[in-house]
Amino acid sequence: MADRLSSLDNAAEKRDLVPVGPPAGVNALFEAREVTKRYGAFVALDKMNFYIGPNEVVGLLGDNGAGKSTLVKMISGINPPTSGQLYVGGKPVSFNSRADSEAAGIETIYQDIALVDQLSITRNIFMGREITDRWGFMQHQKMQDVAIDILGSAVQISGIDDPGKEVGFLSGGQKQAVAIARAVHFKRNILLLDEPTSALSVRETEHLLGYVRDLKKEGTSSVLVTHNLYHAFMVCDRFVVMSHGTKVFEAAKKDTTIEEVTDHVIRT
Amino acid sequence: MAVSQSDHIRDAVAARERRSLATKFADWIRTRPEGGIAVLFVIAQVCCVAAALMWPDSFRYLSEANAAVTLKAIAPIGVMALGVGILMIAGEYDLSVGALYSFLSIVCAHWSNYLGGDIGEDGGVWWAPFAGLALVLALGALIGGFHAVITLRFVIPSFIATLGGMLLWKSATLFYHGAVALRFKPSEPFRTIFGGEFGFLHSSIIWFAVMAVVFYFLLQHHKLGNHFYAVGGNRNAAVAIGINPNRTKTIAFAIAGAMAAFSGVLAATRVGSIQPGGGLGMELQSIAACVIGGAALNGGRGSILGIVLGTALVYTIQDVLLLTRAPAYYFDGFVGVLIVIAVVLNTAIRKTRG
Repeated sequence: MADRLSSLDNAAEKRDLVPVGPPAGVNALFEAREVTKRYGAFVALDKMNFYIGPNEVVGLLGDNGAGKSTLVKMISGINPPTSGQLYVGGKPVSFNSRADSEAAGIETIYQDIALVDQLSITRNIFMGREITDRWGFMQHQKMQDVAIDILGSAVQISGIDDPGKEVGFLSGGQKQAVAIARAVHFKRNILLLDEPTSALSVRETEHLLGYVRDLKKEGTSSVLVTHNLYHAFMVCDRFVVMSHGTKVFEAAKKDTTIEEVTDHVIRT
Repeated sequence: MAVSQSDHIRDAVAARERRSLATKFADWIRTRPEGGIAVLFVIAQVCCVAAALMWPDSFRYLSEANAAVTLKAIAPIGVMALGVGILMIAGEYDLSVGALYSFLSIVCAHWSNYLGGDIGEDGGVWWAPFAGLALVLALGALIGGFHAVITLRFVIPSFIATLGGMLLWKSATLFYHGAVALRFKPSEPFRTIFGGEFGFLHSSIIWFAVMAVVFYFLLQHHKLGNHFYAVGGNRNAAVAIGINPNRTKTIAFAIAGAMAAFSGVLAATRVGSIQPGGGLGMELQSIAACVIGGAALNGGRGSILGIVLGTALVYTIQDVLLLTRAPAYYFDGFVGVLIVIAVVLNTAIRKTRG
């Protein structure tokens, strides 16, 4: 317990040392200033500052329970902050539902995947964004054609040859790949990846990380939440380490080493 | 970049399109829950027809009278089951539909009669029963919406909310009209449209067919149908992807309420009078029909064809028992056994495919 307390003190101390906002000259695509999220007495996020710049991949790191997924859900709109302010392109916004973040061009790959087992791959990809005529009737053929294109890009998914297959019959990796393919298809400005590689094979992981790098060239920034620091070092330009709901370390890749980042993840 | 990598999927899809009709049909039976129930339904019909041919005098399954009664009697429970089934797909129950069936058909008859819609000797006011029907369809949808608000606002199981609703509307029926039967002989053309005979078809079965087709298009081809499945199958995923689950479920509750009202009015038009206790037990029968037709108890699964076949199968049991002059209490026992068999079959089918 004493250890725990001293590490909390440590975290609070460190918070004062890390940069608060984006450096001068960087126009952040998205910024969260001093956001706090409380669940009753539990503080999941504590005055967290976070921004996503143009053309970058941010590595969001930290041990279990550090608040990474809470922050990702906040940026996705499904988990509004208790206090604090969000900005998109410098303008203050409030994200109260998924529709708000979608309007801002943000797309998320969730850790818990967010697919409906009982629906087909095509229907999952277009869930909530069905291609319809003006009466709201779905255009199945169009959706299937796009679904086939999507399945062939982004991640090479082994063993899927039927977009009409129910998602419940896919393996964990295949499900994750479908979720990734969906997010990649609909993303416009920012792609959030919450532990995207946990169920992927080595080859699929390589492919996905390569894809994140390509997206940056096309002008889409990404946030990669991961436990795997080697993956993070392969693609990220900047690292943000969280602990106890706040930021304890932040550095550009060129200014730090994998050892230093590892140290901050396990020490704090 | 994507094109070449998707070619093997296109080829596989094309190959599946090229399967012969027989193979497609066999795959459908093997993989869809309603496929299994279709086989069960056909087997039941074949057995009944064979028995009717062997004992034409004692088992009058093929008689004209039996066919006519079947086509009349199946519609009310079927229409109710369509609404209940859509609500189950969206992941909720409605136990109040039986009580609403009685309550709202009495409200409809009461207002129709009050506005002069009884056919009487002078033919009655033609629009009065239509006004009564419109009123109770709206009331049914409102009451369904009310159940939705209670369920979703206070985050309680719909099972409980609508169990309360069932008792409430049952007593509302007695409060509104007392325990006596109410005459409902509506004026023309209402009587013909909702209770007439077209050749060997009773108009109620035509309405059942029409509603089934409408709901088929809603569920399978409209985005709202996709949202029903999504919200019932994985509520959190639906939220994460931007579907409003409360709005979607409220619509489903409203459909179930309105269909309960419609079903009550169809039955009342056919019979010509309403017993205040007539709908009791129908809520469980309609849930049974949906479950037999492949709807999952925890939502996200089910189809219109399944609901129609489930309803038909439940009615076939009832019919066979009537024709063999078996005591009425056999019915529940047989339906009970059928529910369990159907769910065991569906679960087995789900395990073997994929």
